[in-house]
Amino acid sequence: MDRAAVLGMRQLCSGLRVISGGKRQCCLPVYMVPARQCSSRVHTDDGDKALLDRVIRVDHAGEYGANRIYAGQMAVLGRSSVGPIIQHMWNQEKVHLKTFTELMVANRVRPTILLPFWNVAGFVLGAGTALLGKNGAMACTVAVEETISNHYNNQIRTLMERDPEKHKELLQTIKKFRDEEMEHHDTGLEHDAELAPAYLVLKTFIQAGCRAAVYLSERV
Amino acid sequence: MAAMRALRAAGRAGLRLFRHRPDSGLALRSARPLWVSSLRSTNQKTPPPSFTDQTEEKSSAPPRYTDQGGDESEGYESEEQLQQRILSAAVAFVPQYGWSSEAIAEGAKALDLSVAAAGMFESGGSELVLHFVSECNARLAQLLEEEQKVVQLSSAEKKPTADFLRDAVETRLRMLIPYIGRWPQALGILLLPQNIPSSLKLLTAMVDDIWHYAGDQSTDVSWYTRRAVLAGIYNTTELVMMQDNSPDFEDTWKFLQSRISEAMTAGNSVKQVTSTGEAVIQGLMGVSVTLKNLTGLNQRR
Repeated sequence: MDRAAVLGMRQLCSGLRVISGGKRQCCLPVYMVPARQCSSRVHTDDGDKALLDRVIRVDHAGEYGANRIYAGQMAVLGRSSVGPIIQHMWNQEKVHLKTFTELMVANRVRPTILLPFWNVAGFVLGAGTALLGKNGAMACTVAVEETISNHYNNQIRTLMERDPEKHKELLQTIKKFRDEEMEHHDTGLEHDAELAPAYLVLKTFIQAGCRAAVYLSERV
Repeated sequence: MAAMRALRAAGRAGLRLFRHRPDSGLALRSARPLWVSSLRSTNQKTPPPSFTDQTEEKSSAPPRYTDQGGDESEGYESEEQLQQRILSAAVAFVPQYGWSSEAIAEGAKALDLSVAAAGMFESGGSELVLHFVSECNARLAQLLEEEQKVVQLSSAEKKPTADFLRDAVETRLRMLIPYIGRWPQALGILLLPQNIPSSLKLLTAMVDDIWHYAGDQSTDVSWYTRRAVLAGIYNTTELVMMQDNSPDFEDTWKFLQSRISEAMTAGNSVKQVTSTGEAVIQGLMGVSVTLKNLTGLNQRR
């Protein structure tokens, strides 16, 4: 900082005082008022918190929806030959949901407001595809689990880019869940998902729906 | 006039610098001491202070509500910190001057700064009110956290949720008492269209804090209903408080108590209705299975 600049600024300021004639409302075109920190929470890193919020919110919504899909499938196919297989996958999803619920409470994350909608939509999707027969249900599982695994992979990438050390636990959790979702996907294929009526149409349709759900749940 | 124009141009240039490189420490560091020293020098008519006495000034400064750790370690005060300091000082002048630029100017004067510092705030009154509200929220959060710690160390019993909520809202509203005469004006400012996003954010943050420390664990739609109900209670009680002439605002607290118990009753009835509904559905399912069995439709696939 050179002295001349300081002196110049002083002159300008005193000049201004004379001009404005002691008016206090004078508008000094100084620097932009910085964004105010509105929340009373103390955030060490706002970007990080926002990312974590999004990740946990969308995963919670996803697992919630998955639970409802399996509930719908079980309502129709509960006592058929694939009942125990679906029940097994459902039980794993219940653990996933519980984990994300705990994470949500611990991190003070807002749940998505679309939960009641996912509740109904998930059940209808599960029951609807199950009504096409067991192959239909398995096709639904394949489509959903494939989207979810992709989605988890994307999250793992984002978190790794951000800070692998800090998010270590969350990364472990997501990786474990991703593997389990892949298992469900393979189980679906083993049980003749591809023989479902209009398999490709069904799969494309469901996956588009899932991606829309992910997009919405991250935001609202 | 020429001086004014020159200063404006300088300000714009500084602004541009900030916009281009929002996190450029260089720009901040070079701009800040100049600004601070010019402010002080116009007021005190003393030679430009050396940069060392800014560290002194910093150590005697009141606690800050923003996190600018990187800058502080350099011994400089950031633009925002200075603003926060002025606003905090200005709050004391609100009963006299209202939520206005005049109060900010008085606050700056109290800090030995030029009254022209009020010009740093484009919308003087709004900034002052928002600052005050966020400061109160921070204070409330701190109080609630301390209370939670005491409970965790089990030297006190956890209050029932209704009492906890009532006490939290009462504590928060009591922070308005010194400014109650000017509070209608503040509410008006908070409800200006340009301030609504900020004031809503502050309100939701406060309500969220209260529910968090009340031990809320909901992760479904009730997360939203709880917060909405509490925000409603807070705001209506605030309105009642402004018209309350009873000693120590007794009527307000009575009003608050009854609103909270109403909300609790409503919550319980919702719970009862849902559980009754579930029981009824279970019963109907049972009836349909029985009917199916009787008619022989229920064969294994």
